[in-house]
Amino acid sequence: MQLRVVTPEEVVFEGSARSLVAPAWDGWVGVLPGHAPFLTLMGEGPLTVEPESGSSREFRIGGGVMKVEANVVTVLADQVSPG
Amino acid sequence: MAGAGAREVMRRIKSVRNTRKITRTMELVATSKLKRAMDRMQAARPYGDALGDLLRSLHAPGLAQEQPLLRQPRATKRAAVLLLTANRGFCGVFNANLIREARARLETLQAEGVDTELHIAGRKGLAFFRFRGSAIASATTGIGDAPTPEDAEQLVAPLRRGFEARDLDAVYMISSEFRSAMSTPPRTARILPVEPAPGARPVDAFIVSPRPGRLIGQILPRYLRMTVYGALVENAAGEQGARRAAMKSATDNAGEILETLTRTYNRARQGQITQEIAEIVGGAAALE
Repeated sequence: MQLRVVTPEEVVFEGSARSLVAPAWDGWVGVLPGHAPFLTLMGEGPLTVEPESGSSREFRIGGGVMKVEANVVTVLADQVSPG
Repeated sequence: MAGAGAREVMRRIKSVRNTRKITRTMELVATSKLKRAMDRMQAARPYGDALGDLLRSLHAPGLAQEQPLLRQPRATKRAAVLLLTANRGFCGVFNANLIREARARLETLQAEGVDTELHIAGRKGLAFFRFRGSAIASATTGIGDAPTPEDAEQLVAPLRRGFEARDLDAVYMISSEFRSAMSTPPRTARILPVEPAPGARPVDAFIVSPRPGRLIGQILPRYLRMTVYGALVENAAGEQGARRAAMKSATDNAGEILETLTRTYNRARQGQITQEIAEIVGGAAALE
């Protein structure tokens, strides 16, 4: 699935991912390919991404919104600092 | 012409040459700042577009009663105008255009019987309205060449609270539209109440958490902040574009003046030589 992590100031990550674990407002959310369409408010915490190739990446998310639709995940983060 | 005339012209040539050196440097600086400002504009687009999409798909007619930022007042009694200008001049009509747009908007609102309050970002706008003795509700001069989302939040938060508290019925933002580096016309946008563009795609098929009414309540302030951030970034790019254009024409003008002055100087010098020869010849003739 495709993942895009964007903040108002930049695109932080763009690429294919095998899975991700994100901090939603009410707890952790894991997303795998084929996830149902999903829209959630995010909380603060690390977003862990398993990319298609290479080792896992982590971003610290400071709130935002996540949208999952047709194998495309968009994370609209208020702030991202390197994890 | 006497020697003093040629010296005077030479002095002016040197002065114009210095001016040209300064304007050319400012043009180069503006060019490089413009590049970075345009990059920032570009970088803000994916987030802005995605958030706008999200808002459109969550927006439903019934939400206006529930969400203070979507409230459509029956009558506008009091409105705020947020004017974004530059902190510095030397950018042609950039600031003057924005100020003119703001004055026109204020006059229109006042003619409709609306109480207005003016919020200003940027020293140039502040200086104008302060000189005129206008009432200024708030002023921000600390936003630099690279505005941040926090800058936007600080600008818009008091207006958002005012609108939520029903002290304000509308908020207008005046900023420049970056059509190209050469064309940065002023633009007025009503940022409150938030009115998502039509073309809503319903999110019935989505699992939404928390429920859409609450989620949109979280998205609206972000959307508002992004709108202002986008305008700040666009304004910064417009400022640099306008400055580059103004400094380029100043440099070109200085070049033209230099050409004319050089010609005047050469003529004066030639005249002086001719006169000296005539005097020598005349002196020699007188001796015979």
